[in-house]
Amino acid sequence: MSFTYATAKDSSVRDIDLTIEQGELCALVGANGSGKTTVCNIIRGFIPRFHTGEMSGQVLINGEDIKETNLGLLALQIGFVFQNPFVQISGSKDTVFEEVAFGLENLGVDVDIIRSRVEETLELIGIQHLRDSNPFDLSGGQKQRVAFASILAMDPPIFVIDEPTSQLDPQGTEDIFEIIKLLKNNGKTILLVEHKMELIAEYADHVVVLDDGALVMSGTTSEVFGSPELATHRVAYPQYAEAALGVRESGVPLARIAVTREEALADLTEAMHS
Amino acid sequence: MASRIRALYPGTKLIIALAIGISAFIVPTYWFGFAAFGLAVIVAFVCGEGKAYLKLVRNSLLILLIFMFVMRLLFSGGKTIYWQWGYMIISAESIAVSLAFVSGVLALGSFLLLFFMLTPVKDITAALSNAGLPPSGTYVVLSAIQMIPEMRKQSATIMDAQKTRGVETEGKLFTRIKAFVPTLGPLILSSIASTEERVITLESRGFTAPVPKTRLYVVTKRRVDTTIEIIVIVAFVAVIAGRIALSLL
Amino acid sequence: MTSPALIRLDDVSFSYPNGHLALENVSLSFARGESVAIVGQNGAGKTSLAKLMNGLFKPSLGTVSVDDIETTKRTSAQVARQVGYVFQNPDDQIFHNDVYSEIEFGPKTLGITGDELEERVYAAAALTGVGPQLDENPYNLPFSTRKFVAIASTIAMGCDAFIFDEPTAGQDQSGMRTIGALIESLKDSGKTVITITHDMQFVVDNFDRVVVMANRRVVADADKRSIFWNLPVLEQANLKQPYLSELARDLGLGSDVLDLSEFVASFGAIRSRR
Repeated sequence: MSFTYATAKDSSVRDIDLTIEQGELCALVGANGSGKTTVCNIIRGFIPRFHTGEMSGQVLINGEDIKETNLGLLALQIGFVFQNPFVQISGSKDTVFEEVAFGLENLGVDVDIIRSRVEETLELIGIQHLRDSNPFDLSGGQKQRVAFASILAMDPPIFVIDEPTSQLDPQGTEDIFEIIKLLKNNGKTILLVEHKMELIAEYADHVVVLDDGALVMSGTTSEVFGSPELATHRVAYPQYAEAALGVRESGVPLARIAVTREEALADLTEAMHS
Repeated sequence: MASRIRALYPGTKLIIALAIGISAFIVPTYWFGFAAFGLAVIVAFVCGEGKAYLKLVRNSLLILLIFMFVMRLLFSGGKTIYWQWGYMIISAESIAVSLAFVSGVLALGSFLLLFFMLTPVKDITAALSNAGLPPSGTYVVLSAIQMIPEMRKQSATIMDAQKTRGVETEGKLFTRIKAFVPTLGPLILSSIASTEERVITLESRGFTAPVPKTRLYVVTKRRVDTTIEIIVIVAFVAVIAGRIALSLL
Repeated sequence: MTSPALIRLDDVSFSYPNGHLALENVSLSFARGESVAIVGQNGAGKTSLAKLMNGLFKPSLGTVSVDDIETTKRTSAQVARQVGYVFQNPDDQIFHNDVYSEIEFGPKTLGITGDELEERVYAAAALTGVGPQLDENPYNLPFSTRKFVAIASTIAMGCDAFIFDEPTAGQDQSGMRTIGALIESLKDSGKTVITITHDMQFVVDNFDRVVVMANRRVVADADKRSIFWNLPVLEQANLKQPYLSELARDLGLGSDVLDLSEFVASFGAIRSRR
């Protein structure tokens, strides 16, 4: 399964041609205001439905144009998690269990199936201990995990995740990336918008860089994070790449620019002894 | 006993509350209303919510009742005058009228409060769903209820933010009121902003999917509920009949 | 007796009205013109500490003094004139329909008028980069920009000390740089700057003194090098080293590296010894 789109909308984003393969974790990076959230909204179908403005081009999921698909049913195909944990609680349920069940209720799933799915999901995400808590009483990190669980319960094959860890502390961030890893291992196709480059380098298969509404770079983590062009688009390198680039600049020959911790350890240990 | 009262179907509880409350206006003696209130208090204590219930009644009904009593007392005219000043007259008749009215409001108000205290919102909306309320209606009621404590928190946060900008909020009552009013704007604005995002959340949970929804949490009407409802309605009709008979005699 | 400290906490403990203990036996002192980073997991007491310093909370035990006056002797608004506080969520403190009025509100409340008022607004806008958005409605701007609006509104008040609560959450690379430059500028004007943050890299880049909080207490208060190489303390506070420090440690570079230039130098030194 793959999805492709080419769009141009006013000046928010221009001529975006993007293909994401099934099971791929595609990371979308760029300065704030470069169009990342616009791209997410286009994929989820919120643009053009909810937002004014012109859009040309199409979004194809599995070859099918989603322009006419009912937005509620689209939730079966595309799950969406975003930055603010507080507004991702429905607000109509007083326990986490029911909150996670909410999506399945809306989709008319049989009550027995709902129960078993919710149990599975709570188990998978590791929030069984929160099942009877009121969602409003949870911390930001816990709310975010409940948000993931609520979407996962509907088991969509695609996840669009927009800056899920911005409002969280390091522990909360780690918990969320554990979930993202889990989704990836379960074969989900993921579009992830994030600023934390080290984590992107660790988990992403494909990195896409936006600059001022245009898609300017696309490739593997090594290709993008190892390229000098990245700096011109006001995007940070992972610290490991910085280290590698700095070491290379100081005269030490390096075969590649490491982007993750493992690569940096391996490359630099070797370089130390050469 | 307490659990059996709580386990009654929401619709049943409401019918009981309304029957007793409205009867207080129909029955010719004002003692009925005060007795009804007494009954409500007893039920509240039996269910373990006595103190909270009294506090609720005090905070919501008391001022209303005092106001209504005084208004009727002074402005109902009457023949057996005890005291007069300008247009204000306290008479035997005005005393009787105001007591009767207040006992009615007390009975109805206290039983409705009892109803809401003993019936979780979940149950109410589930019963409304059974009666045909669409899911959007259910959602609106439930989220509105949940929002109230959240808005209170948000209001406190906004007051704090005002303080950090040098706005004096402590001290005389007038200062505090003056400081509170400008917080309404931001409160509404941020509520609107989060509502927009919550709509997105609802969409992401398939809320607008054109399929019949299933419900995890349901309340069902049992035979005992129907039986009680019939008894109550019959009694209520008897009260009305009795009142009509009385007035014809 | 006058002390050089602008803000001082003497054996302060704080419990919420509902009995929940948030801070225990904290003693800290911040001088004029000092800049400090406060780090720790969520729940460690950082935000309670901040609110005690700006007078929003009053201590349950011990005393908090600003400019030698105990905070209990003044109203919150009075203390706020000297100690500015920027909330973690900018939406909690935005009151107006346009950025200009928003920034103007603080100094205006303090009694500043006319030309000086206008100068303050423009100066604060320039420092935070929101100059081009002065006529915009804050809610039409992206979250990270609203953060800068909130910062500008507080800076314009001209307090002696500023407390920033998670200013870097959700910021991109240029946003981080702007905040760094802003802190530098405030320091140059003799202001005390206290920043609560999760971002270790940001701390390395912008601060010298670091206060570590864990479990409602201060567990360390020292220069950044001592803190980020004190593994037991970091462990106790459930914090990680900055990425480059960790990498240096894994490579056995032998010295307490904090930033890129130190890393490269240290690497070169070790390598040339072989």
